[in-house]
Amino acid sequence: MKNILLTEDQRDALQEMMNISMGQAAKSLAQLIDVQIILSIPTINEASPDDLIEILNHSDDTWYARQSFLGQIKGEVLSLISKEGCDAMAELMDYDKPLCDAQTQELILELTNILSGACLSGLSNQLELKSNLNMPTLLTPSTNGKPNYNWATVLLVEVCFSIESFSFNARVVICLEENSIVSLKTSLDALLS
Amino acid sequence: MAIPVTIADDSALSRKNVRRAIPEDWDVTISEATNGQEAIDAVEAGLADILFLDLTMPVLDGFDVLRHVKDNHQKTVVIVISADIQPKSVDLVNSLGAFRFLQKPLKAEELKVTLHEVGLI
Repeated sequence: MKNILLTEDQRDALQEMMNISMGQAAKSLAQLIDVQIILSIPTINEASPDDLIEILNHSDDTWYARQSFLGQIKGEVLSLISKEGCDAMAELMDYDKPLCDAQTQELILELTNILSGACLSGLSNQLELKSNLNMPTLLTPSTNGKPNYNWATVLLVEVCFSIESFSFNARVVICLEENSIVSLKTSLDALLS
Repeated sequence: MAIPVTIADDSALSRKNVRRAIPEDWDVTISEATNGQEAIDAVEAGLADILFLDLTMPVLDGFDVLRHVKDNHQKTVVIVISADIQPKSVDLVNSLGAFRFLQKPLKAEELKVTLHEVGLI
């Protein structure tokens, strides 16, 4: 069994890196829509694949997208975007209204790219661990069953972006698989020393 | 006499970075706060003629602290050090009376230049 539990210092450092990454993500989106985005304090949790599937348990009020990444750290980024507020968001991002299904999908994937892309690249740059993000795909109850994860344990790093004026919120959950957690810990220790 | 300075940030790493970036020859007494309420308490207790302030914090965030300081302690010099680099956040920070906005991760040289510019060192 690999030692994948983070020490308090490692957790604090990872949380701060994620805070910096989400600030960059929010800036990218805020520049497009000219609205202030409220940032959450990042949370970090060890979890089992069942917990992950629980996160993806379809709720009617949320859009789900997933994006895998490979490299010196590997895993998946899940984006959970509230359906509420999406119309207002689409308008600010110059989509034609009313949104057809294809445009809705495009909007969700674009938001996913902006937010999860910046969160992951910010994190991997600070850790000095390279990773490449694949294209996001939308998860719908009809297109997918439960994703099949062969990991025993994952580390979930989660942040939330919200916009009060039109009740929009987006959660970005970075899931790191076991071997990547070991690399992560080594990298955090090097940066802390 | 040493100037009372408080570093308010929920991250221990980040507080350490600010501590390290403070010029060695600057005569200050440093206190730390780990959330917005503690930052306000430090100001009230006279521990923060200068306040280095993060924005994204639990209990009360940095914006709340800025509002309180603006209304009650106009002599406190607030330098915001945050990762929330959205233009609207920076504007809000400025309108709430902060002296400067420095982006995380903090660079020691940038802090030194800023302290010079605002006449603190």
